[in-house]
Amino acid sequence: MRLKTPREKRILYIKTTVRWILYIIIILLSFTLMTTGSWLKPVFLVPVAICIAISNDTMISAYTGAFCGFMIDIACGRLFGYNAVLLTVFCALVSLLYELYLRKKFLNYLWITALVSFLQCWLDYKFYYQMWDYPDVEHIFYNISLKVWIYTLISSVVIYIIFAVIHKFLMPKEHLTIEDVIKAN
Amino acid sequence: MREFLKSTRFKVLLAFIAFLVGIMIYSVTKGGYSLSGASFINTVTKPIRTFSNSISTKIEDIVDRYENSDFYYKQNQDLQKKIGELNKQLADYEDLKTEVEELRKLAVIKEKHPDSVFSQPAEILGYVANDPFKSFTIDIGHEDGITPYCPVATPEGIVGIVIEVSQYTSTVRTILSPDLSIASVCSATNADFGIIEGSVVTAENNMTKLTHLNINHEIKKDDLIITSGSSGLFPKDYPIGTVKSIGVESNGLTAYAEIEPCTDISRLRSVFVITDFSGKKETEYEAENTP
Repeated sequence: MRLKTPREKRILYIKTTVRWILYIIIILLSFTLMTTGSWLKPVFLVPVAICIAISNDTMISAYTGAFCGFMIDIACGRLFGYNAVLLTVFCALVSLLYELYLRKKFLNYLWITALVSFLQCWLDYKFYYQMWDYPDVEHIFYNISLKVWIYTLISSVVIYIIFAVIHKFLMPKEHLTIEDVIKAN
Repeated sequence: MREFLKSTRFKVLLAFIAFLVGIMIYSVTKGGYSLSGASFINTVTKPIRTFSNSISTKIEDIVDRYENSDFYYKQNQDLQKKIGELNKQLADYEDLKTEVEELRKLAVIKEKHPDSVFSQPAEILGYVANDPFKSFTIDIGHEDGITPYCPVATPEGIVGIVIEVSQYTSTVRTILSPDLSIASVCSATNADFGIIEGSVVTAENNMTKLTHLNINHEIKKDDLIITSGSSGLFPKDYPIGTVKSIGVESNGLTAYAEIEPCTDISRLRSVFVITDFSGKKETEYEAENTP
C-alpha cells in the first residue's frame, strides 16, 4: 500500500487506532456476555477472532487469536492457555487462507467459522469430558457441545455484520500506482 | 324625582322589594333548608355548573402553570433530588438488609457448628461458561484466607469445594460434578453410608447421586443426606440434599439414590467458605505452605 501524503498517513493512523479500540471493546463485551448467567451461551470470541483474522496480517491474527483464547479459557474455566494455543493456530491459518486463496465473502467466513468453532467444541469435549470416561458422556456432546456450536454459528452472523460495518468505514483501502499494478502482474 | 316616586314603576319596584324581603323572612323560618324554588333551580343548574366549574378549574390550572412555571420547575428539581437521595438510601438499606440476613444465617450455622471457621459471605461472580456441572467463581480468594479444597456451603447445606484460588477470586467445583466425591450418610438411619458423586445425567437436572450404598439399605424417599466427615475434606453433619429416587446399580451389587441438593446450585447468589473445621485433613497445598 502506498501512502501519498502526510494527511493520508494521519488518517490511516487515526482509523487504525479507532478500529483496534473497537476490536478490544467487542472482545471485552463478548467476554462479559460469556460470563453472564448459568445458561448455555455461544463462544462469541471464536467468530470475533476469525473476523479479525480475515482482514489482518498473519502475525497480528495469531496474537489476537491468542488473546481471545485466553479470554475463553478464563470464561470457560479451562486450563489457561489451552484455547489460546488453539485459536492462535486457527487464526493464523485463516489469515493465510484469505491472503492466498479465499475472497472476503460471507459464505467463506461462514464455513470457516463453522469448521473452527466445531473443532473448538469437539476438542473441548474430547479433552475435558470424553477423555475422562464419565458414564453417559455423550450426553454432554449432544446436549451441550453441539448446542453451543449451533449458538456460536448463529451469533457469528451478527458478529460478521458488526465487523463488516467497522471494516467498511475504518479499514484502509489500498492505493496502487500504475507501476505497482504492472509489477504485481 | 317626584314624578318617579309617584309613578307605577316605583310602586312595582317597592312591591318587588317587599316580595324579596318576604321571601327572605320565609327562608329564615325554614331553618337552613332551601326554598322549593331555589332547590329546583339548584337541581336544574347543577350539571351546567359542574361543567362550567371544570372548565374554569382547567383554565385556572393552565394560567397557574404559566404564571408559576419557574416555581414548579424549581420544586420539581428539588423533589427529583429528594427522590434520588431516597432511592439511594433505599438501595443502601436493601444492601444492609441482605447483609444482615446473610450474617444472621451465618450466625445460625456457627451456632450449629461451633468447631467450624467460616469466611465472610462471598458473592457469586459468575458461572463457568457452558460447564455442565455448574462450576462458579466467587469474589474472595487467597487474600481472604481461602485455600484450595476448602468446602463451600450455603445456610442450607454443602454446595462444593474450592478448586482454584487466585488473589481475589476462587473457582468452586459443585456437588453436581463427577470429579467431587463426598463421604456421606443418611441422617434418618445414621447407618447407610455412601459416596456423593455427580454424574453427567443427574447434572442435567441439577441433581447429584449417592453411590456405593449397601444393597440392603433402609433409605427412603425424602430422607436427608448429610456429610459423614470421614474423608477429612468436609466437616461432619452438614446437609447435602434429599433423596428423590432409589435404584440398584447395573452390577447388581450396590444401590444408588438420586439426590436433590438442599440449595438450587444453578441459582446461587452468595456462599460461605469453611476455612477450618475439626477433623480437617491437611491438604498437600497446606502442607507445602505451612511454616
